[in-house]
Amino acid sequence: MLFEVDGISKRFGRIAALSDVSFHVEAGELLGLIGPNGAGKSTLFECLAGAMPSDSGLMRAQGAAVDASSRRRMLFYVPDGIAPWPKQPVRWVLDYTIGFLGGRAELREEAIAQLDLAALLPQAVGTLSKGQRKRVLLAIGLLTAQPALLIDEPFEGLDLRQSRDIAVALRSHAARGRTLFLSIHQIGDAARLCDRFVLLSGGRVRGEGTVPELAAKARVQGDLEEVFLALT
Amino acid sequence: MVGRIPRVRSRPPGRLGRAQQERDVGVPRRPGACPTVTARVKSPFVWLLEKEWRELMVSRSWWVLLIVMGPLVGVSFIGAMRQYAEVSGLNGTSAGVGEALAPLVGVWAPTFSACELVAVFLLPFVAIRMVAGDRQSGALKLELQQGMPPFARMVAKALVLLAGWLLAMLPPLSALLLWRIYGGTLYAPELATLIVGHILNAGLTIGLAAAMSSFTEHPSTAAILTLSVTVGTWILDIFGAVQGGLWERAAGFIPAALVSQFEHGLWRLDTTLIAVVLIAAGLALAAIWMSLGTAVKRRVYESAALGFVAAGAIFACTFATPSWDNSESRSNSFPEADERALRRIHAPLRIDVHLAPGDGRRVDLERHALSKLRRVMPKVQVRYLSSTSIGLFEQTSAGYGEIWYDLGGRRTMSRVTTAEGVLESIYSLANVTPPVETDDEVFRGHPLAAQSNGAGILFYGAWPAGFLAGGILVRRRFQ
Repeated sequence: MLFEVDGISKRFGRIAALSDVSFHVEAGELLGLIGPNGAGKSTLFECLAGAMPSDSGLMRAQGAAVDASSRRRMLFYVPDGIAPWPKQPVRWVLDYTIGFLGGRAELREEAIAQLDLAALLPQAVGTLSKGQRKRVLLAIGLLTAQPALLIDEPFEGLDLRQSRDIAVALRSHAARGRTLFLSIHQIGDAARLCDRFVLLSGGRVRGEGTVPELAAKARVQGDLEEVFLALT
Repeated sequence: MVGRIPRVRSRPPGRLGRAQQERDVGVPRRPGACPTVTARVKSPFVWLLEKEWRELMVSRSWWVLLIVMGPLVGVSFIGAMRQYAEVSGLNGTSAGVGEALAPLVGVWAPTFSACELVAVFLLPFVAIRMVAGDRQSGALKLELQQGMPPFARMVAKALVLLAGWLLAMLPPLSALLLWRIYGGTLYAPELATLIVGHILNAGLTIGLAAAMSSFTEHPSTAAILTLSVTVGTWILDIFGAVQGGLWERAAGFIPAALVSQFEHGLWRLDTTLIAVVLIAAGLALAAIWMSLGTAVKRRVYESAALGFVAAGAIFACTFATPSWDNSESRSNSFPEADERALRRIHAPLRIDVHLAPGDGRRVDLERHALSKLRRVMPKVQVRYLSSTSIGLFEQTSAGYGEIWYDLGGRRTMSRVTTAEGVLESIYSLANVTPPVETDDEVFRGHPLAAQSNGAGILFYGAWPAGFLAGGILVRRRFQ
């Protein structure tokens, strides 16, 4: 097990965004965080990455609590819907990721090829379309060196072909031992890609495990969509 | 059934040995640790500096600031040159008046005043864009995961902005070259003091803008807050002039007062240290509020603690009395012979001034005598006594207008507010013979009856065109 999350809660005034969220993440797995819009997926990622303070709960690795600074060495979080360094060209952004964020230079060309970024390298991030920007964000994440990568909505803004290509790319990185924890609201995308799932709805974990494990818990037969509907 | 993506040389999760995992995944190295040849020679902080520099270079507001600087300096310099030449006796008029002219006050203070204007009204927008831009674009969420202390991030931004500010000071510095070509003389210490004053002033603006950017979600709100604080310091200045006392003392440390001191060639340690403390406090406050993962309550406590520490540091700085009069004309000092005589007086001196804050005589007394006296006798106690602010209806009161001197128990009263009058009273109490001023000690000034030929072309044409072209080329290169 890479780390476990124990009882994380987060409130925004009267609204409970996360309530006692607990689950674990295995090393090298592709874990899908699935749930409808507003389920608390992004909030959970932000709390785990230390971009937002949680009200309670902690993260553990090898039985010991992991503080915010240690988390930075363990996981990297790629938020959804951002356009970082919008005036800078993609080429420089990738170099900056390697230089400043301590990314892995040896993955640079591979990431460019996998995410089809070659034509975008001279373009400023702010001039890219939503899907192109998402591919740059994914490249930033894939270049970083932390063992676990948290990506919020990796397929948002991508067309079907791009989604499939990127899913292959993500799987190739996971195959080399990198842990990928992906927040996905499209259950079909999640089902195609992930090994295990954490089902989040209304800020609570409704289930955790593989599709068969979740189906058994829900006492339904069928695919992930059926299981999700039964458990949430 | 949803089709699954084929696995690529997949291994069962969680079964990798630790060493294998570290080889494959890469142990999370210290960020910035030699991923590429370039990165090998660059620390994360250098990467950050480079990024901030690039952000500054592609900032439109920054290039607008540079373009505007030339004409602003031109108006100030050409106007100052014209007046200086007239007083110096251009075309044979006013001959002889120029003997008392000091280039620092006559030309350089007005020329560099363009920097003050730009620092107050334009620089905040550039600084706010630099600080708030990361949060608006989402880059902050990525950069904070690097683990670099937020204060270091703010320092990087401040350093780059200050480097940019030095670039913005090129037009006024080019005026120095013109002045030399016209035949003018330069006195390096007073010019260095003036330039340091404007750099400190820019630093204060940057610190303030950074702090305001961190509080607010939107840059326009940050701009309004920054300008509000600046206007607030002006109000403090007016209030201090009316109320006197602590308000007046506090008004002595506002940015406008700081610049004014440096414009007169006076380098005060207390003012400098307070400016540095305020800049650091502004950046620290920005760092606290840019730490996204910290609870608001904790940020409030940290801000309060910072406020107490900064206030304590500022209070301590007020006791740092050393100052240096770097003006060639020694406009902030008594004649050297008088200073030597005053230094030989060791008895405690107390001066009670019965003048209202708004009374012009009090302003004269403070500016021309007491401020100079404090530099020679730091332990002199000055008390201003008045029951009204403007003194208009206090004129008939008994004792109004009197200045009482108490030197080791011996007292005398005078109503004279000139430097000579103050010195005479002190010498009489101390039984000291007033020193005789020699002709050598008198500053004769550097009159220059020259026209500012070519200045218009340089400041209204060359600088704006150069910066415009530079902006287009540099932005194209960086983008």
